[in-house]
Parts: sequence; structure tokens; C-alpha cells
Amino acid sequence: MKVLLADDDAERSGAVAHVLAADPDLTVVRLRLNQSLAEAVDALAPDVVLVDMARPDRDALDGIRQVAAHNARPVVLFVDEDDPAFMEEAISAGVSSYNAIGMPPPDVKPILRAAVALFRRHRQARDDLRQAEDRLNERSIIDRAKAVLIKQRRMSEPDAYKWLRRKAMSGSRRIVDVASELIKDMKGDAG
Amino acid sequence: MSEPIRVGLLRLVDSAPIIVAQANGLFRNQGLDVQIHIEPSWSNIVDKLSYGVLDAAVMLPPLALAACAGLRGPKARLVVPLSLSQGGNAIVASNEAAVSLTENGAAPRLRLQEWLHLQQNRPRFAVVHAFSTHNLLLRYWLASGGVDPDRDIETVVIPPENVVEALAAGDITGFCAGAPWGDVAERQGVGRILIGTSLIWPFHPEKCLCASEAWADANPEQLNHLLRAVLRAQISCDRPEEAPAIAALLADPNGLGLPEEASRAALPGGSGAELIRFYTREAWFPARAHARWFLGQMQRWGWLEDQTDINALAAQVYRPDLLAPAVEGEGLYPAADLPALEGTAMLPMPDDEAFAPRGRNRS
Repeated sequence: MKVLLADDDAERSGAVAHVLAADPDLTVVRLRLNQSLAEAVDALAPDVVLVDMARPDRDALDGIRQVAAHNARPVVLFVDEDDPAFMEEAISAGVSSYNAIGMPPPDVKPILRAAVALFRRHRQARDDLRQAEDRLNERSIIDRAKAVLIKQRRMSEPDAYKWLRRKAMSGSRRIVDVASELIKDMKGDAG
Repeated sequence: MSEPIRVGLLRLVDSAPIIVAQANGLFRNQGLDVQIHIEPSWSNIVDKLSYGVLDAAVMLPPLALAACAGLRGPKARLVVPLSLSQGGNAIVASNEAAVSLTENGAAPRLRLQEWLHLQQNRPRFAVVHAFSTHNLLLRYWLASGGVDPDRDIETVVIPPENVVEALAAGDITGFCAGAPWGDVAERQGVGRILIGTSLIWPFHPEKCLCASEAWADANPEQLNHLLRAVLRAQISCDRPEEAPAIAALLADPNGLGLPEEASRAALPGGSGAELIRFYTREAWFPARAHARWFLGQMQRWGWLEDQTDINALAAQVYRPDLLAPAVEGEGLYPAADLPALEGTAMLPMPDDEAFAPRGRNRS
């Protein structure tokens, strides 16, 4: 069975391909960069297509029989009617799957399940990284605001922090928001 | 405040009512917390609505109907309680094709057959989605000129922001897409507008607001407030004097990031060939007659089986009854008079006389 992998994220699609390659019955082919999804399905004639839902050209596979009436292979969205929770999980993870084969339908669910797991892990790693970056960024904004207060209002460092915290609490705002506003105001004054 | 309402949309000018409602605090005034999800494809919108990942979305009416008819998997349960916009699409051809199709000043559709005979390969037309207003109106127009859209031409699906590039590269002969892409093609000199779709079907419905039926059933109050906020936004989107501010809002790089000048041209009072309407001429009314026309066309092309009960499906999906409390609550229209709007001259149907089908007609 031939699986076409349409995912421009090289690292993630590499991981999915690696996992699927463990099954000797599967041949994994990947979309070339800049190749459209419909073109690839036409040229490579896969049985199953795994698609990153962030792709805008996914619409080209939707209703392919309605636009290309005569020569196209039937392509249908894989949907497990008996397992809506799994479908929701796949959609939330950002991966969908199509069967590009008439009869009999291949057993797609294990393939999609493997992809979902990798897409989720990938997203988790990305979210963690972003959070770590945000925290670092917030720390540096607060430090810069403290430096402004120390220099301009001659506060001690603990007092500068207390000042920011008090201002945040009285306005039900986050300390980092108060800090970045302060920095912006200083820039405005200077300009 | 309860759970936020998740509303999906694409980067298109006709998403304006949702963007305006959010930016101007209309959702907040209704006590709603709305989360806007910008999606990359129509398929994402309909999949997320079907599996409860979105609660409501800006949608193509034929796609909502096709999903509920089971044309893209198991039958989805979606409702359309509001129409969002009318018009805005154009059928565009390459310069070479346009010259040949408009020879002697004739209506292009009357020259279609003759032009086809001169082509060595099947001309290729792009639409934004198989189940789109664009595809159904393009096919209707082609058939009125004696063209069989399944036999005589090839149809491909290309995201709207890429159609002009595809036309310039010679990958396609023409396209039917929403604003501003027809004007962009003309301005860049790569093609010409053959006809605006409002000439085929005056005041034709374009986008609708679609909700998951499960969400609408479980949250009637939230739905009512959502509809009231969007109706208010539609009214302001229809005011030409608001257009510059709305175009600027749509251009926000942290939002939709649309080309400002092109959006301005497509909004009310703009200079585009086809303008979008959001409220006047009852643009908000989800007429079941519109749903029946879309379903009838799907049957005509053999997508829907002949025995499909079109009336029942239209009534199941198109739900003006859900809109009634909102239009009355806003003092816009008496709820009791809504059903009588169906079939009035305010909401005309396609001009079958002018566009008499000469092509395959199964009905």
C-alpha cells in the first residue's frame, strides 16, 4: 500500500515516514516541495494520503470527483463514523487522511493514529519552546523596566520590582504588561 | 461569561462582518466571548464544524449543503441561520480567450461553443472549491452557452490568492473567484472579467454563517446574541462611509492581512467590477429557495441522487426560524413576517430566461 505524505515540515514528516516505514506493507512517498496536492495524487497514484491540515491546497482534494469528473481517481476523506472522538483528536492535532482507492478500503486507522501521535508530540514540543521563549522575553522586559526605574527614579532594585507589582495588582494587569508600557512611555518621551 | 464561542473564517473580504463585530466590541456588548480562528482552507472549516472543534464559521452555502447531504463523508449536521453576503464573484479569462470570446461585441457565453472548437486542449478553469457558489455559477453560465462542463472543459481547485498567478503562468484559461481577484487580474493585465456573477444571478447569496447543529441546539441564547452582533456588523459593513476603516481593519497584519486597496474596491461604494453587499436587499436572509437552487444544481450535475428530497434537506439546513428572535430583537424585521420573504421580488432567482440552459440538463 502506497502512502503519500503531504507535510512541508521536514522534521515532522521525516518522523512520520520513519514510523510508517516499520510496516513492510507500506511504501511512503513524500510530496515534493512546491508540488500541488492534486498533482501529486495524480502523478504518484497513492492509496492513502496523509495531509497536514495547515495546507491551503487541501481544498483541491475535497470533492475531486465533482470538479474532475472523468479522469480522476476517487479521493475520499477518511472518516471513522464509529469513533467521533478519534476524528476530533485527529482534527485538533492538525492531520487528516484520504483514501485514494475504490474498493476495498484499506485499513487506514492505524496509519492515521501514528500520524496523529507524532503531530501532537510535535505541536507539544513547539508550544513548550514558545512558552520558554515567552518566559525569557518577559523576564528581560521586566529587567529593562526595573533598570529604567532604578536610573530615573533612583529606586533600589527590590523597590522597583515592588513598584511594578503594586501597579499591576491595582490595575488587575500582568507585571510584564505594566513593564512594557513603562518602557514604551520612556521611548515616547525620548523621541 | 461562559465558554468562548469559536468562530472560523478564511482570509477573505466577505469575512468582514465577523472581524468588524470583534473589533468594534459588538460581541462583547452582547455578553459574548468570541474567539476567531483564521483557517487555511474550506475543508478545515467544515471538518472542524462537523467534529465540534469550531462552533460557527463563515461558510460557502453549497459546501454546508454538500456536507449535510453526505457528499464528503458521513452526513454532517450543520445549520445556516444567517446569510452573510451577496455577490462579489467574477468569471475571468486570459486576454487571448477574452479577445476571442468578446469578438463583435457579442455576449461571451454565446461565443463559447465556437471558441471551444478552436482550442487544441480542453480549456482549464479554476474555482476555489468544488462545492462553491463559484463552481455552480460558472457551470450554470457555461451550460447556458452550450458547454458541458464535465466534457468540454477541465476544472481545477486553486486557492483564490493564487488564481491570478496561475492565469499569468498559463496554467489555467480562466477562473471564477471572489473579490478582489477579478480586478487584480485586470489591473495586472493578465486577464479580463467576462461577467460578474451578479449579472447571472442578481443579488445572489455568497457566504453564510454556519453553525454546528449540536452547538446551536445546546446554546440557543448564545446563538441569538451571536446573530444580533453579526447583523449589527453587517449593517455597518454595508455603509460606503465605513468602507475605508473596514478595509484598513482587514489589512491588519495581525488579523487577515488583506491588500487594503483591493478590499476597498470590493466593499460598498468601491470601484470594483463586482461589489459585495452585506445587509441591504435582505442580504442577511437565509432563504430556503437559495438552498433549493444550490441543491438542484448539484442534482443537475449528478452529484446528488435524483431521489434526494431537496425540500427536506433545504429546510433541515437553512433555518430562518433561528434568526427570527434576533432580527425582531434588533428591531430590524418583524419575526412573523419572515416566512413571507421567501420567493419575493426582493430575493430574485437566477435569470433562467436570459441564461436558458443549453447544456446537459437532467431535471
